[in-house]
Amino acid sequence: MNNAKPTVNSPASRQWPAARNWLLLYLASVVIITFIHHPAILAILLASALLFSGNNRWRHLRRTMLAILAFNLTISVGYAAVALWQGTFSASYLLLVNLRTILMVFLGFWFTARIPLLDALAGWNIASLLATLAIGQIKTFERILADFRAAFESRNLARPSWLARSRHTAAQAQTLLDKSFAASNEAAQAMRSRGVFDD
Amino acid sequence: MHIPDGFLSPQTYLPAYAIAAGGWAWAAKGLKAQLNETTVPRLAVLTALAYALGIIMVPIPGGTSGHALGVAILALVFGLRAAFIAYSIVLVLQALLFGAGGITALAVNALAMGLIGAAGAIGVRKLLARVNETFAVATAAWVSVMLPGIIVALILGIQPLIAHNADGSPLFFPFGLSITMPAVLIPHCVIGFGEAVLTVLVWRYARTRKWLPK
Repeated sequence: MNNAKPTVNSPASRQWPAARNWLLLYLASVVIITFIHHPAILAILLASALLFSGNNRWRHLRRTMLAILAFNLTISVGYAAVALWQGTFSASYLLLVNLRTILMVFLGFWFTARIPLLDALAGWNIASLLATLAIGQIKTFERILADFRAAFESRNLARPSWLARSRHTAAQAQTLLDKSFAASNEAAQAMRSRGVFDD
Repeated sequence: MHIPDGFLSPQTYLPAYAIAAGGWAWAAKGLKAQLNETTVPRLAVLTALAYALGIIMVPIPGGTSGHALGVAILALVFGLRAAFIAYSIVLVLQALLFGAGGITALAVNALAMGLIGAAGAIGVRKLLARVNETFAVATAAWVSVMLPGIIVALILGIQPLIAHNADGSPLFFPFGLSITMPAVLIPHCVIGFGEAVLTVLVWRYARTRKWLPK
């Protein structure tokens, strides 16, 4: 691992402030959005975000809608039912809360697509190290769980019993725990051998 | 159980971030006291474990499944501070890496699940350990699901009171406590049962591997 700090004029150092500034801008944006209570303004902001997000705008929007669909639909339908029954229905509220959620989640997908998180964390060594190691391990665990699911499905042509499903769930968790203990030792040894802990 | 973005008022999440920052500082200080070269990789792996546990589907009586929380497992095996930090990092990664979490709701989610849920699990297990260990661990896991559920239901339920228009119409989450409490707690009662079974099975496995804290 290269622990050398880049000089002021190196390409890496010029990249770091930009990514972190984008992260701070994104965080500030989502906070500011929660102070806006006019659907029209949120609609204009969403249209602007769509306009400036480039060729992937419809992909981001599709991911946004899929991410919020279940929760927002439940809340919207529930609100409409209760409010109509109580005679307090406000279409403006439905517009407000859904536009706000769509805008905030859309900005999140746009940000994560444009700015690699690790670039934004560059310069904060512990945070970068944590994120890098965690992301790598997450990918490993996801593959393990996918293998478990495939194996379980192949062994159970009929719907498995609750007990079988419970044992399958526990086996996944036990394997992950096993892997966690082994992986943390391996990672520490790998980092030590590469001089990460040397002063 | 995660609260998505857009349903919490700034009057809620900004103070929650202030409280969570204090919690993170406390947890990090405690971990720093044990800081050695294995701490960072261990915490990173714990974070991945916390994330992966949340993907596992727990079968619930009645034929459905729910996502495991896993916070009881983390807390009982690795301790409160590590569980809180790992869970918080998971929420950050979900929000900033996968675009799949609420940034504004992150502090509330972290406090409810990663801190209060974990502390509840540890406290209940200590309290009931003398009765029967399996019963203690199962109850601890169930409490680790119910306590965050209560917090989340409370936080959501007060939104219409603390953030509304002049005409009384809500600005964020629209339902009051009379709706959020049963709507959240009843399903979590059932999910907690599945979580309890999972946690007991994993606890026994961890005990045979001698990974439990002394």
